[in-house]
Amino acid sequence: MKVHVDRERCQGHTLCAMIAPDVFTLDDVDGHSSALDGEIPADQEAKAAEAIRSCPEQAISIIP
Amino acid sequence: MSTEPIADVTDDAERKKNRFQFDRHTPEYRERFTDITGEMLGKCPVAWSDTYGGHWVAAGHPEVFELARSAEYVSNDHDPNNERRGYKGISIPTPNVGFRGGFLEMDPPEQRHYRQALNPYLSPAAVARWMPLVDEVVRASLNEKIETGEIDFVDDLANVVPAVLTLAMLGVPLKNWDIYVEPVHAGVYTPPNSPDIARIQQGRIAMREDMLRQLAEIRANPRPGMIDALARAEINGTTPPDGELLGVIALLIGGGFDTTTALTSHALEWLSQNPDQRARLSAERDTLLDPATEEFLRYYTPAPGDGRTITADCEIAGQQFKEGERLWLSWAMSNRDPAVFPNPNEIDLARTGNRHHSFGLGIHRCIGSNVARMVFKRMLVAVLDRTPDYVCDPAGAEHYQTIGVIQGMKHLPATFAPGERIGDGLDETIARLQVVVDEQRLAEPITVRKGAAEIS
Repeated sequence: MKVHVDRERCQGHTLCAMIAPDVFTLDDVDGHSSALDGEIPADQEAKAAEAIRSCPEQAISIIP
Repeated sequence: MSTEPIADVTDDAERKKNRFQFDRHTPEYRERFTDITGEMLGKCPVAWSDTYGGHWVAAGHPEVFELARSAEYVSNDHDPNNERRGYKGISIPTPNVGFRGGFLEMDPPEQRHYRQALNPYLSPAAVARWMPLVDEVVRASLNEKIETGEIDFVDDLANVVPAVLTLAMLGVPLKNWDIYVEPVHAGVYTPPNSPDIARIQQGRIAMREDMLRQLAEIRANPRPGMIDALARAEINGTTPPDGELLGVIALLIGGGFDTTTALTSHALEWLSQNPDQRARLSAERDTLLDPATEEFLRYYTPAPGDGRTITADCEIAGQQFKEGERLWLSWAMSNRDPAVFPNPNEIDLARTGNRHHSFGLGIHRCIGSNVARMVFKRMLVAVLDRTPDYVCDPAGAEHYQTIGVIQGMKHLPATFAPGERIGDGLDETIARLQVVVDEQRLAEPITVRKGAAEIS
């Protein structure tokens, strides 16, 4: 499973990094999120899915 | 759902067939909030209301989501001097003030320039640096009451900590917090016809004078903080006039103070009423504190909504709008939409998929959301540790009569088993912290200072 944060949609709510800190990193300056490059470790997939579900801007998607 | 311009809107009777007499400024709206919300969500997630000159009300979660994120058709602009299109900003009805409420009453690009200037002070990394200072203010505030076994969680804690931190981040002397706290807090809940309004006006004048004094001082003799960033900011290539900067500073103060106070007092009241949940939250705080914070935000929505103005004839979320029409986006009602939140009228501390709207959505997302979360969590944890058995007095708990602007509390008295002071009291602590703020230049942006406050 790979995920992507749409930088145009992300508004820096930070919920993704709160839920899945090993998958999402927040920019120091504006707090906007970016996702781990590459495959998410299997033990983080459930948290990543919960982050996707919780994003207020619906800015995170699974890369097929 | 789609967002698109339309050439011809259908006739008004057809467009406005979903009607609801909506008046969020009445006590009845607060008292019947669950029923009114259920009715609107069920029958008319977007409705026309004739109140306050007529305006749309968006209550449904998907509808609020679409509308709030359609910045090209939905304006925050407040233009009291009719220099652009005469739009009326985010308050419905429009208050008779004649100035803009900072960048929350602006559209891009000005709005974006302000946020870019302030983000490095308010990002998660920037805010985390302040945690040791916040813990000191919380500790000292509780010290003032810990030996007596009695506290008013609003007056003695939740009003104090957000105020001191906000001033510190602005670059205003911490001891000035009591110039600001009462006019902001009482200014929100006091109706204009109250006999107390003259006293609050006096307080507001003193607050405004202090803001102007700080701005002038910082211009003449720079010291770090958000006021310094504003004094230096280039907005659309020019330096904004002082009047506009005052509106921005007032927005940061208004956003930083009473909202977090409101969230904290409501959460503490609920935890007193649900002691088993309080014990669970305290025991499982490592995993529950984050979701519980989001759930209190969702359920109590301290800032219940925002006004907007439609900028072009358009159809959004299945509703046709005309240019110039006013719109109320209800974060509070959309936070109770059962399509998104199972059992929306219950507090579930472990709720998942909590896409609440309490910090707004889109380009105007509350710029202080990271401050609010951090300060709330530090106050809550300290209360759970130092007064774990507190019981709020229902007879003394006083909610704002109306929730048209802020869903807050005036007072929340409680009793608890007395404990011991830890370290010094509030005034001594604030004096000591001022030295720390100055020496360590804590109010610098994250681009200049990375490290957390060091308090010996």
